[in-house]
Amino acid sequence: MTRYTNSYVAGAALGIVLFLSYVLTGHGLGASGGIQRIAATGVKAVAPEHVDRTPQWAAIAGGDANPLNHWLVWAVVGVALGGLASGLLGKRVRIQTLAGPNVSRRTRWMMALIGGLLVGYAARMARGCTSGQALSGGAVLALGSWLFMFMVFAGGYAVAYPFRRFWN
Amino acid sequence: MAPFDPTTLGAVSAGLVALAFGFAFGFILERAGFGDSRKLAGQFYLNDMTVLKVMFTGIVVAMVLVFLSSSLHLLDFEKVWVNPTHLWPQFVGGLLLGVGFLIGGY
Repeated sequence: MTRYTNSYVAGAALGIVLFLSYVLTGHGLGASGGIQRIAATGVKAVAPEHVDRTPQWAAIAGGDANPLNHWLVWAVVGVALGGLASGLLGKRVRIQTLAGPNVSRRTRWMMALIGGLLVGYAARMARGCTSGQALSGGAVLALGSWLFMFMVFAGGYAVAYPFRRFWN
Repeated sequence: MAPFDPTTLGAVSAGLVALAFGFAFGFILERAGFGDSRKLAGQFYLNDMTVLKVMFTGIVVAMVLVFLSSSLHLLDFEKVWVNPTHLWPQFVGGLLLGVGFLIGGY
């Protein structure tokens, strides 16, 4: 297993990629919007009437619209492939459950499910996650994105103590 | 003048551009250690500052380049997507996302 890249070097590379994204596409990077579109495809397959009635679903998947026909979906696929490529290069790819030293695998998977539900819901409420809001919006000085970013840290630090046994 | 609109190249080309940016994004994040939930959660116990260092270095580098190229008239900032402000959803959404991040680890 190879060591991770220095944080400042990785951060600078990230900043350059984000800048190039603004120059070449006019927008930043995103992740949760792509996940939402993949989810919309599932919802539409099961309950198309519900998609047409719900404004948030209708906006991306209503009527004849194909929710997958959007750059965000391609970007999410790219993120997964890029992460896999980096993991393979660094010989870090293996099937494992990464957990704190004092939690069982089962607890860790429950935490992932509950945390994921919260993150997914919150990202749609805020119209973006740490990629689309905090990182991309932060770099172009969007006020709401900076508020979002500080609230993410506030939320995490606020519950870090009660959940300390999960990670330490 | 930048920004360019990749959709003028056709849907497939625009998709490939997005795929390439996603690839670079995912590659860098994994190399920085963001594939390990323990490293990410460590930010909230102050025993691993990777999240803060990578994120803020990325934001500052991109910000300087965006506004420098904009002031040199190489990038038309009027055409750049800037996230609209919705204070309450971003306030509450951010808070909830932070809680979910700590519990889920990602």
